[in-house]
Amino acid sequence: MKESHLVFTWRMIVLAFFLPPLLILAVEMTFFGEFKGIDSSVSFTRFANATLTAFTLCSFFLLGNLFFYGESRNRPLAPLVGMCMATGLGVLATVFFIGQGPMLLEGNGSVQGQAIYNIVHMFVSSGAIFMAACVALGVTFSAITSQKQRSSFELEEE
Amino acid sequence: MNIRDFSRDMDEMLQAFLLFWIPVSMVPLGLWYSLTSSPLRGRFLAFSGIVLVCLSPWTVPSSPSTAAGHLLGAVIGPCMLIIIGIYLVSFSGNVPVGKLPRSDRKIGVLMAGVGFVWLAGMHWWILTPQLSPNEVNVYWYVFWPTFLLLTSCLSSCSAVTLLMIGERRKSESNIMFLVSAFSFTILLLGLNIDGPLVTGERFREHLWLAVADMAGIAAGSLLSIFVFALVIYTYERNLPEPESITPPSDSELKQVSMRIATHLGGEEE
Repeated sequence: MKESHLVFTWRMIVLAFFLPPLLILAVEMTFFGEFKGIDSSVSFTRFANATLTAFTLCSFFLLGNLFFYGESRNRPLAPLVGMCMATGLGVLATVFFIGQGPMLLEGNGSVQGQAIYNIVHMFVSSGAIFMAACVALGVTFSAITSQKQRSSFELEEE
Repeated sequence: MNIRDFSRDMDEMLQAFLLFWIPVSMVPLGLWYSLTSSPLRGRFLAFSGIVLVCLSPWTVPSSPSTAAGHLLGAVIGPCMLIIIGIYLVSFSGNVPVGKLPRSDRKIGVLMAGVGFVWLAGMHWWILTPQLSPNEVNVYWYVFWPTFLLLTSCLSSCSAVTLLMIGERRKSESNIMFLVSAFSFTILLLGLNIDGPLVTGERFREHLWLAVADMAGIAAGSLLSIFVFALVIYTYERNLPEPESITPPSDSELKQVSMRIATHLGGEEE
């Protein structure tokens, strides 16, 4: 495949992913003339909380993976300490930014309450993401297996 | 056992820790245990964790986090129906291994359909997850828009991938476009048609929060993967050069060539 064609293919795939939310925005703009329901400060708060929580939880998960990486490297301490620091940084950043005032508090009274809410929120979002991925991948697989069996080789004409 | 009496005796934080957070941690631990050492014990641990999390609104009513357990209990039925339905449809088709009877296809379609109708009934009918009468579970507003929007996005992405990378996959691509259009239509209906408890206005507000949430999850996860790669790269780069060994002697080379010679060649046809 030519490189330009490959770039075009990737662009189309990325565009296809963003098509549904862009279409909703277009429909909203066409019928209401504005983006109804979007409160930029509330959306930013959710974005920031999701970023901090995802960074911390994902770092924690990757920290666990470092143990398996260490098995083939005589259990080095340096990367483990590095990743521990990254996870700790995530926790500290979360506590620091939430503690700055009402900016990142989504109706929760304390830093601890907001941090716990963030983790539970992340579980629910991850569940929805997992379910959507299952449906999309499962239906793709179903669509492929529902077609007639294909032959991998063309029979040579004698 | 009287749950109310038991809960009154314990500190609320400790109660939430014992009856919600420990069961939550039992799920990944059980899955990990089932993959590494004992599958049966691991699955039992994970299953017990899920059951205890689903029961948490009754065992720890004081903790707001248990609303997630309530949601899990509410959506686990339709979600399992959808997943099992898709599994039956997939494996009753042309698969080389693990093929199921052709009749399972209809059952699978029916199960997946019932699952979707059940979820839709939570928006437009009386099935909405409620913590108390007329109080919608807050996490339902997180789950439902995220699921619908991402299903639409991923299906659309899959359709274009099948069309552009796959060979003669137009009919499969059309099916994926249909799935994407279906979930997109449900989204549009949710934005414009009120349910008995969920209004279009509230759904619209949470749809954009779901977009912000997904963008945040993507940004945070990518950042942590980048940091992980950076940590590994830095460590590997700082490793000393491996010590060079002396070249093989003549006797060693002779021994190696003899060994190779005994393993080369084959029987002539």
